[in-house]
Amino acid sequence: MRGLAAVLILAALPAVAPGQQTSGEIQTLKVQGNVYLLTGAGGNIAVQTGEAGVLVVDTGLAPMTDKVVAAIRKLSDKPIQYVINTHVHPDHTGGNDAVRKAGLTYVGANVTGNLTDAGVGAQIYAQDNVLKRMSAPTGVQAAAPFGSWPTETYLSGRKQLFFNGEPVEIIHQPAAHTDGDSLVFFRRSDVVVTGDIFVTTSFPFIDLERGGSIQGEINALNNLLELAIPGYQDEGGTYIIPGHGRICDQPDLLEYRDMVTIIRDRIQAAIQKGMTLPQVKAAGFTKDYDGRFSAKTAAPSGPGTADNFVEAVYKSLAAKR
Amino acid sequence: MRPIQMLAWVFVLMLPAAALAQAGRGGAATPKASATIDLTGYWVSVVTEDWLYRMVTPAKGDYSSVPLNAEGRKMADAWDPAKDEAAGNQCKAYGAPALMRIPGRLHITWQDDNTLEVETDAGTQTRLLHFGATASGAGGDWQGVSAAAWEVAAGARAPIPGAGLKITTTRIKPGYLRKNGVPYSANVVLTEYWDRVNEPNGDTWLIVKTIVEDPAYLNVPFITSTHFKKQADAAGWNPTPCTAR
Amino acid sequence: MPVILLGLLSCPAFAQGPGGYNPVAPGVDLAGNWGPLFHEDQHERGPGPELVNYLGIPITEGARLYGLSWDASRFTIPEHQCEVHIVGYIYRGPYNLRIWEERDPVSQKLIAIKQYIDNYQQTRTIWMDDRAHPSEAAPHTWMGFSTGKWEGNILTVYTTHMKAGWIRRNGLRHTDQATLMEHFIRHGDHLTHTSILTDPITLTEPLIKTQDLVLRLQNGQTWLYPCEPVVEIERPRGTVPHYLPGQNPFVHEFADTFKIPAEAALGGAETMYPEYQLKLKKTGAK
Repeated sequence: MRGLAAVLILAALPAVAPGQQTSGEIQTLKVQGNVYLLTGAGGNIAVQTGEAGVLVVDTGLAPMTDKVVAAIRKLSDKPIQYVINTHVHPDHTGGNDAVRKAGLTYVGANVTGNLTDAGVGAQIYAQDNVLKRMSAPTGVQAAAPFGSWPTETYLSGRKQLFFNGEPVEIIHQPAAHTDGDSLVFFRRSDVVVTGDIFVTTSFPFIDLERGGSIQGEINALNNLLELAIPGYQDEGGTYIIPGHGRICDQPDLLEYRDMVTIIRDRIQAAIQKGMTLPQVKAAGFTKDYDGRFSAKTAAPSGPGTADNFVEAVYKSLAAKR
Repeated sequence: MRPIQMLAWVFVLMLPAAALAQAGRGGAATPKASATIDLTGYWVSVVTEDWLYRMVTPAKGDYSSVPLNAEGRKMADAWDPAKDEAAGNQCKAYGAPALMRIPGRLHITWQDDNTLEVETDAGTQTRLLHFGATASGAGGDWQGVSAAAWEVAAGARAPIPGAGLKITTTRIKPGYLRKNGVPYSANVVLTEYWDRVNEPNGDTWLIVKTIVEDPAYLNVPFITSTHFKKQADAAGWNPTPCTAR
Repeated sequence: MPVILLGLLSCPAFAQGPGGYNPVAPGVDLAGNWGPLFHEDQHERGPGPELVNYLGIPITEGARLYGLSWDASRFTIPEHQCEVHIVGYIYRGPYNLRIWEERDPVSQKLIAIKQYIDNYQQTRTIWMDDRAHPSEAAPHTWMGFSTGKWEGNILTVYTTHMKAGWIRRNGLRHTDQATLMEHFIRHGDHLTHTSILTDPITLTEPLIKTQDLVLRLQNGQTWLYPCEPVVEIERPRGTVPHYLPGQNPFVHEFADTFKIPAEAALGGAETMYPEYQLKLKKTGAK
């Protein structure tokens, strides 16, 4: 029964996104300030360390969690207090349960003695739609195990923390990659974690089934562009950790934003001319970007491929009309 | 000093001379044998620069990039290809100062131990690069007289293998730096540096730096660099006659 | 024999204290101020290339479509205004190049060759100490990450981790997956810079360019390049100027002006080789 439940849970979650195949090993890179990048666990993981403890943005795929926690421990032996999820997909939330359990929450109360949590582990923050998509009412099979669910959510706008000497903003991006996306902005470290709103490994995966849309994706990219300020001679400054791929800065993001907008414009013009989806796919509107961004997956229409992206944009725009 | 001591010092002082005599007995290595780089084989122009001045004949009066003085501009503005054809001067743009810029193929061989022969299929020209203290030949033709030497790089901390070839060419018949009549005079001095680089992907390149000095028509030396890719064989070798247009 | 030995023994021994040189190292000294010459491609490298002039560039179909979609108005977007010329392109433009060496203070072993390019005020480091290139996840920069070695008297440099940037600044761009090989060759007061760009996504074969520089006295004077973006044209948020496929109004402008076939102006590897002249003759181009 447990095995069947596991299969059902896995089947309910979206397919593995491109670039999330694990390398088997975790690589740790210092980004800037208090923030580090862990790669190799599926989606990118950001780790903020300091005197107050550890904050983790996303937790990667479940099978990699032991290595993820070990990598975090190499950076700091302070308690993991917070996990923040950028969105619901399992390559970013698969390790939630284990990472949460590896941490703790300081609970305040009018009590003496040990003030650490009573087995709660770290807090998991996310936009409310992440919880909605992971959970289910009692008696209904949930998409994710209970231990992975966010413990605290926010509805719209932003949630603010102050941790390890800097403000941390969790900023909702509605209907972008999904309907539960958040950017996480470490203000003093000047690092933004984007989840799969921005990746360097493929075209965007607009998850229409989970509330994503092309206009929301473009809005989110433009928001990011306004948030990130480049450094001297247009380089560095605000560093950006994408959902998959390498550490970036504003000019790197700009190339991606331009690409997404141009392809959207082409498909929009085609829809206005009355072209069908097969016609749009055959027109090769992504040919100038396919070599760089079309995901190399076994499935020709898998997430992040040109085919998948074009279809999602078409349907998203057609639905709007 | 006693005589035996004097004899000992003479012996010691003679040692270096004896060593040199040993080397001299075998003879100095020839330029061919002491070549620092191998330039032989077939090479093809890869035209990624100055395309409009090399792949096609530019318009009369277009001498952009060439530091011509007033006299040089006057000559270029008077270009008349029909006149050149009538006078049998179709090869005026294929002289040594311009030849390497003309798209085509090179075939480089050793004519003898002291002479590199460079044939071009474009214009069917032959240049002879003579190693030695003075280059021989009367000159006065399109290719002039070329004196070549394996370069001792300026600024080098020690003689370095892999240095390229330095060529100085004079006594060249007046001609054109470009096919549209940009002139050089009989007093032109052409200095070239030929270097070879090998790439990890297997490509080999010949880089030819050309310095044309001609105060008759140029304000300052006219300097260009041209690149050729090594070919495995003579594929594409296509001898074509000079054209004035 | 004893006389000779005595003669040798009477020679002074080598000095023990300060003195002596570290071993002669390979390579030549490139240090100094170098200024580029524009005796080739002066128009493209100075004022700039014409629109839809892709002559002599071995571009892929994808790169061609990108170029034809590119609208020069994109330069007016604030985020695009301060873009730096990528390392494979910066040597084509106007600049002063200052080169110096960084050496270990104790052993005087060469650690890096540094370059300051005053156009866009870029400092470039060419590591000469056999260090490895960074991880794939590391950030990319305008100058990339470069390691160098001497091959005879030629400095050969290999660069990775470049951002996306210009192949030609009229819409032809390489991706951030490109790599660059360079050779710096000094002949007296002359420097030849050869660059070979490899990017299979945008180029069907490596693209080679050679530039010439001369040693110049600069006396510390350099061209400063402060850049601050401003809104030049009011537009709806997120607008990206571009032409829809097939709608570029300038496709024929360059080709018609210079009387060459439009197909030639669209570039491609065949336009680089001598046999293309036969094709041009058939179309009547002179």
